[in-house]
Amino acid sequence: MVAVNHINLEIEKGEMLTLLGPSGCGKTTTLRCIAGLEKPDGGDILIDGRPMFSKGFVPPSQREIGMVFQNYAVWPHLRVFDNVAYGLKLQKLPKSVIREKVTEALESVGLTGLGRRYPGQLSGGQQQRVALARALVRNPKVLLLDEPLSNLDAKLREKMRFEIKSLVRRMHMTAVYVTHDQAEAMVISDRIAVMETGNIVQVGVPEEIYKKPANRFVADFIGTTNFIPGEIMEVPKDRDMVHVKTEFGQKMLCKVFDSATVAADQKVHVSIRPEDIEVFTKPPEGRHNLFKGIIQYRAYLGNFLYFFVNVDSTMIRVQVAYDVRQKEGEEIFLFLDPEKCIGLS
Amino acid sequence: MSRGNLLISAILWFVVALFVIYPLSFLIIESFKIAGTDRYGLQNYIDFFKDPYYLKTFANTLLLGVLVLATTTMVGLPLAYILARYRLKGKVIFTALILLPIVLPAYAGAFALIVFFGKMGTVNLLLMDWGLISKPINFVFGLHGLVFIQSLHLLPFIVLSLSAGFTNIDPSLEEAAEVEGAGGFKRFLTVTLPLTSPNYLAGAVIVFLWPFTDWLTPLIFGQIDFLPSISYINIAYHFTDMHRKYMGIVSVVVSSVICVGIFLASKTWVERKKYTALSKGTTLEGRIIEPGLLTKASSYAYMFFIAILVLLIPVVLGLSAFSRRWVLQPFPSYWTLDNFRLILLETPALLKNSFLFSGVALIFGVAFGLPAAYLITRTKVPGKDTLDFVITLMLAFPGIAVGVSYLLAFWEGIPLATHWIIMPLSLFVRRLPYFLRMAHASYLQLDVSLEEASEVSGASKMKTFFNISLPLLLKGVFVGLVMFFIMAFQEISTAIFLYRGGWETLPIGIYLNWHRGMEFGIAGAMAFLMVVIIFILLLIVARIGGGILGAAWGSSGGRY
Repeated sequence: MVAVNHINLEIEKGEMLTLLGPSGCGKTTTLRCIAGLEKPDGGDILIDGRPMFSKGFVPPSQREIGMVFQNYAVWPHLRVFDNVAYGLKLQKLPKSVIREKVTEALESVGLTGLGRRYPGQLSGGQQQRVALARALVRNPKVLLLDEPLSNLDAKLREKMRFEIKSLVRRMHMTAVYVTHDQAEAMVISDRIAVMETGNIVQVGVPEEIYKKPANRFVADFIGTTNFIPGEIMEVPKDRDMVHVKTEFGQKMLCKVFDSATVAADQKVHVSIRPEDIEVFTKPPEGRHNLFKGIIQYRAYLGNFLYFFVNVDSTMIRVQVAYDVRQKEGEEIFLFLDPEKCIGLS
Repeated sequence: MSRGNLLISAILWFVVALFVIYPLSFLIIESFKIAGTDRYGLQNYIDFFKDPYYLKTFANTLLLGVLVLATTTMVGLPLAYILARYRLKGKVIFTALILLPIVLPAYAGAFALIVFFGKMGTVNLLLMDWGLISKPINFVFGLHGLVFIQSLHLLPFIVLSLSAGFTNIDPSLEEAAEVEGAGGFKRFLTVTLPLTSPNYLAGAVIVFLWPFTDWLTPLIFGQIDFLPSISYINIAYHFTDMHRKYMGIVSVVVSSVICVGIFLASKTWVERKKYTALSKGTTLEGRIIEPGLLTKASSYAYMFFIAILVLLIPVVLGLSAFSRRWVLQPFPSYWTLDNFRLILLETPALLKNSFLFSGVALIFGVAFGLPAAYLITRTKVPGKDTLDFVITLMLAFPGIAVGVSYLLAFWEGIPLATHWIIMPLSLFVRRLPYFLRMAHASYLQLDVSLEEASEVSGASKMKTFFNISLPLLLKGVFVGLVMFFIMAFQEISTAIFLYRGGWETLPIGIYLNWHRGMEFGIAGAMAFLMVVIIFILLLIVARIGGGILGAAWGSSGGRY
């Protein structure tokens, strides 16, 4: 079993990078290797230019890092103040300096005045903040966050995303954030590294990951998408558009990011996001990628409508921003804008 | 609230009132009786605390407790860490060996120790043969011998509770310390050790209070100046000197008060400091470390050393069991099965009584324990927490207190003491909480929805219990049964006060043979036989219980 396989990743100073992937993809293992809590079989790990692992091994206690654990790992036998002051005391800083730094850190996470409490007297969200303050107080070279919000309830989670992001920005901290929640990753990251079964499959800013997914896995994992299976019919020269014969027998046009890597007869999946599909009650003239379907299911989600449309037995999800009168069982026309259809192998 | 539950509650309370509260009240009342009169007063207590002898005895007992606790902690701490944290081959076997003393009666160990380390024991004789010493060294007679044997007996409690603590710590708590800059020993001192303290305390209380309940081991080592020993002597031998008898009873009450007091104090403290409940999503296994070569070697050496000490007891008992006239020789030279012939053929009543009394006690235990566990975990009957509390208190009560109070309570009025049923009855009361705890723990692990599903499907509460609960509880219950039986089988501190001619059990037989100055051989053979029987029972538990075994012991030491 290989948990993590040949990862090559460079994180910029002051950048917040997220390792994103489903459970078991190796994101936490990667983070723990950076922390020194796990030893890789080979390779190099450098922090701030200093080698942490190649031939030698720097133990976690010498790496000058800060880490927020999934279950907070706030020490229950120490008061909030002592939890945060722990690392500073080990550095043998003068008492007054420690007091000042801890007070500042507690203030920055919104826990002013709670220093004398024990963790058992705090809510989950507050314990989370203690963990954050503890990780930040020594001004570490890297801040590592291992699914720090996964134990909080939905409302608080959303709030904490922005708080963590603004806090890390304000302190110009370099941070690596691990999550399986793609929405969280989109909000919090400067860049996202998507991982699948031990490999990094794509690294990029959130918009790039969403709009130009590198493969089917990324397109599927980030947001919602439709896959239309088919076969490439022809690859026109000097264009990044290809003709695809779909499984339900119709032709369609779609984009490929690198036309040199595709060839005729190759199997592809055309990906298009529900919000990129336009609907018509009467077919407009002279358009490619226009398909007729039957509305199988219609759902009202407040700010938009959601249709499941049956196009020759292929189910396509469509998100419509305005009111469409058509009911379940009625006909509808879908326009899949070729610019937004992406052919993925 | 169903009527059935109330009825169960009423019956259980009746049993507790009749067999626990009623006799113990006799003990307390008797302790206020003034010798030679019909009056009651504080005189006995005043005499006790004014008499320098009893004060010295009291201080000795405290000192023994402190020394035993210190020894077991120093020896047990590294051992617990090794067992809990290092990935080592054969750990299971070592664990089983090191835990063995918990079920070996302390007095059996004391015999073995005297034979091996005594003034004319194997070690001294060998040393003199080799010309290394001219006069025998006093290895065991005195405080140091007591500390040694009691530490060996109690070591498992410390090791179990500490290693449970080490295992239960959420690994991320230590990782967080590492990331914060605390490596190795520093991390151990600031995070690991403090987090283990509630577990440690639970085990430490059992160890510390042991000298307040064990009267026999000091006597075997020729020491009487300890509270339980002097209580025994005063009560068992001074029925004519009423003052000494009352001093004995006061000693028992004082010991009981101390035991219950410390037990309750530690229980409250542990409850307040329950750390494990705090963190979510902990891993099951805890933190396991791959030890380096040096660590590995010294870990094995350490485990071997302890295992040899432990194994010494059954080996020496075995040697003396199969021999005669093992005197003034390092090793026996005359081998015989005569001891066993004596025990099995000429006095088979000992074995028969042991099995009969423990068996009947077991039936009482189940008949009481299962409904009690059900009542406490599954119903809201008023007073059930008080019931749980009273039963749990029996864990702390010295056996001698139960024995003496039964003797006082069941002669006149309710003359149960004239029938052999008093023997299993007292065994049952003495070990009341053991079976309950085990059934209780199993009940807690059993998801209520499994029972609810049965009721929804149309089964009555009674049907549900027999069709669903009991089969699922069976494993835990069975382990509880055997542990209860083992504990009842080796019981002596209660039984010694109550037995009459013809009711002798194996432990009493051991004691009498030693006491009457007969050959060690017979006492040794009896002790050996007992160790073998207990060991077989233990194997059965281990086979069925597996992981439960440690957990059960851990929780009998760990939770209360």
